[in-house]
Amino acid sequence: MNYKLMLRMLGRILQLEALLLLLPTLVALLYQESPRPFLLTLVPILIVGTLLSRLRAKADFFSREGFAVVGMIWVALCVTGAFPFWLSGEFATFWDCLFEITSGFTTSGATILADIERLPRGILFWRSFSSWIGGMGILLFTLAFLPKVGGRNQILVQAEMPGPLATKLVPKTVQSSQILYGLYIALTAVEILALSIAGMPFYDAVVSTFACVCTGGFCVLNASFAAYNTACQIIAIVFMILGSLNFALFFLILTGRVRQALKSDELRFFLLAAGVGSVLVFANILPLYDSIGEALMDAVFQVASILSTSGFSTTDYNLWPPFSQTILVLLMFIGGCSGSTAGSIKCGRLLLMFRCARRSILRLSHPRAVKVVKLDGKIVEEDKLNTIFAFFILFCILLVIGCVVVTLDGANLVTAFTTSLGALTNVGPGLDMVGPMGNFSFYSGPTKLFLSLMMVVGRLEIFPILLLLQPSTWRR
Amino acid sequence: MKILIVGAGKVGATLAAYLSHEDHDITIVDNNDAAIHRASDTLDVMCIKGPGAAPSVLREAGAAEADLVLATTNMDEVNMLCALTAKRLGAKYTIARIRDVAYTDDLASLRRDLNIDSVINPEYSTALEISRLLRFPAAANVDTFFRGRVEMLGILLRKEDPIVGIPLSELFSSTKKFSVLFSAAERKGDVIIPDGSFVPTAGDKLYITGSSSDLADYLRSLGRNVPAIHSVFLIGGSRISHYLAKLLLPMGVRVTLVENDEGLCRKLSEWLPEALILHGDGTDQELLASEHFTENDAFVALTGRDEDNLISALYAKQQGIRKVVAKSNRDNYTAVVRAAGLESVVAPKLITVNRILRLVRGLQDKSGNVMTALYRITDAGTEAAEFLLTENTPNLGVPLKDLTIKKGFLIAALLHQDQVVIPDGSTALSAGDRVIVISHGQGIQTFRDIFPDKAQ
Repeated sequence: MNYKLMLRMLGRILQLEALLLLLPTLVALLYQESPRPFLLTLVPILIVGTLLSRLRAKADFFSREGFAVVGMIWVALCVTGAFPFWLSGEFATFWDCLFEITSGFTTSGATILADIERLPRGILFWRSFSSWIGGMGILLFTLAFLPKVGGRNQILVQAEMPGPLATKLVPKTVQSSQILYGLYIALTAVEILALSIAGMPFYDAVVSTFACVCTGGFCVLNASFAAYNTACQIIAIVFMILGSLNFALFFLILTGRVRQALKSDELRFFLLAAGVGSVLVFANILPLYDSIGEALMDAVFQVASILSTSGFSTTDYNLWPPFSQTILVLLMFIGGCSGSTAGSIKCGRLLLMFRCARRSILRLSHPRAVKVVKLDGKIVEEDKLNTIFAFFILFCILLVIGCVVVTLDGANLVTAFTTSLGALTNVGPGLDMVGPMGNFSFYSGPTKLFLSLMMVVGRLEIFPILLLLQPSTWRR
Repeated sequence: MKILIVGAGKVGATLAAYLSHEDHDITIVDNNDAAIHRASDTLDVMCIKGPGAAPSVLREAGAAEADLVLATTNMDEVNMLCALTAKRLGAKYTIARIRDVAYTDDLASLRRDLNIDSVINPEYSTALEISRLLRFPAAANVDTFFRGRVEMLGILLRKEDPIVGIPLSELFSSTKKFSVLFSAAERKGDVIIPDGSFVPTAGDKLYITGSSSDLADYLRSLGRNVPAIHSVFLIGGSRISHYLAKLLLPMGVRVTLVENDEGLCRKLSEWLPEALILHGDGTDQELLASEHFTENDAFVALTGRDEDNLISALYAKQQGIRKVVAKSNRDNYTAVVRAAGLESVVAPKLITVNRILRLVRGLQDKSGNVMTALYRITDAGTEAAEFLLTENTPNLGVPLKDLTIKKGFLIAALLHQDQVVIPDGSTALSAGDRVIVISHGQGIQTFRDIFPDKAQ
């Protein structure tokens, strides 16, 4: 392991984080709040970061270092990012701060705050801004805007980008990440504008957008999106969906390859899941509502929010019939497309696993049959399929472990299961006690630490963090 | 004609043999010593050793004065480059063999951009021929004319067929009703151009010409309405199988393909996602049985070994599969398996040779009656050729009954103002018509050949 290079890269990221912290500092100043929590975090990490980035290191850099450094950077990012919350004095314990910021960076949107509205605006801005950065990825940000990180950048992108199949848009990794961030910033700008026009206050529009395009789910109001008008909700639905599509598709569309983009198997699967989920939930909750429009709106919003792994809500679905709740839990397993800002297993992986399963059934009746598994007309290699199954089984094991650990804290089965699922899939809220109107504050400190780790594991799609936890990684 | 053949492989050497017999000046270029020796020992041709795409070699071989350059090496890219270079040097007409599956969608643009006059793909042509056989399961072979408007079926007569034993003059009214024509008959290796006294006999292979729908109706009246083919079992994952599956799958035919090479299986599965690809030995009866291959409507053997193809095909026939087709390039085996009851044997080599001979004769025909199709019906020298008539064609406007046509020739069908006409005595030829001429005994070079010399 090339520790020096890894530390140097960590230093660069800390410098960047210090830079990003300037934004909430400005917001705090603008609303005449104390910038102290930000400055007290900003200055030390800038110093540490600068010292680390001065390290001289050989440029040797391989897959192992890449995955390990991504895991390390994310852990460091969450720990340092928690300090502004801690220093603001609004949070009871450091565990709470860590949980909240991890939930932000990993775009989970789970919160320990019961009364969000009493928090200073600067702090809430940092909370949502962290999800915006985490959505597309901090390393991708670094590559896009401060490219001199180190040698083999594509390994970093692979480790941080969600989804089984990393697609390069253009031959150069740096340019690819610039395009991705460019698209991301454009989506953000359009949503801020749309929400402002739809009548949302500008601060709310900015902060909600940050939490929406990244499919995060943080809201600055206790009532989440229920507090905003229908137009704002529709805009949010659109951008949650857009955020959970593969950004490569936007690039294809912008470069005139619309037909190729629309042919994407994953896109079709995602839209099918969204459509079927909405119809089933709508039909099931219709008797609870007076008007069809309202029922449809709530059904579609909740389905989009859960499927995109955002976790916003416009209604308390804890009160819905069990069938709808089951559908929502199933949607949590699906998530968005690869190369998006959404979490969970992802449509691409599920689709490939379905195809493998169909092949296995075919092989029962034709033992000698040879059939390759394809996605978008291209062969997916067998070792990639094996990785996908490995991912799936690890996902299930972690889900079960998470559920067991959380029940130790006294939560009931539904709460514990959806807590674990919500953390691992980065949806955030679940059902029962952690439902849309509840929060995570009742969990004990160690459980919050554990859930924070689960969220990072989920965000980085399991492998980088498991690599960090494996002793052999650290042996020379 | 001065003809330059680059690449003395199976097709190149066969073509050289046919063309040198037809009195052309042949030069062969090949990079392989053994091939050059074999060619110079067995054929009356000039041989030059060297890489076929090199301008210096082509210049030495006389590409600049050549009327025709045929690029038939085993590398598609070399063939393209060879055709391109020869054209630059001044060759009048170039033909390149391009058979890689990867190029199939690009043939038109390749021809245009590389200035290749004609592209031949033997494997694709063979697949097309097999697909036609599968469309007319009752026929032993099928040839098409007039861009698919007219087909010529070869059917093997059996004892129970109603027309057996009745002279053609008595059958005339019934064939007239269906607008089909008996164009040739093959009996014990001999070919007969039938006239009124001809009596169909069991064991004859009868060639019937007509439009697809008329032929289908006529076959039905003979009690030969075989149901259409819905599933095909292919053994061997060659290029022909690939092209054939690509032709059959869009028609809604289920395709099962057995191939021995696992890597190739994966590729086939990529190219043919709708087909069922099996990895295994297609001649292994255990595998065939476990896949219930007898439940298929047709069986096509396309492995690289002719012997395997013929034996598996016979086995499939014996197991009761309705339509069995085998690929074999060896004429001597073909006769043996015909005797054992296997009707449909296709020879890719002959298909290619036919196409090129047709092109060569068309190039030669100075009167401008362009030959647009040519099929060799049997090895005994019977051919069916399609011509486009022009103003210069003799005897236009004269009813056929007033015309003397040399013995051994027959006008089987014509396409007049886009109508398919099965000719009778009152039919007259006119410019712009396309005609099919069956010839026996002598090769037909131009349309004039069918008239006695004194008539010219």
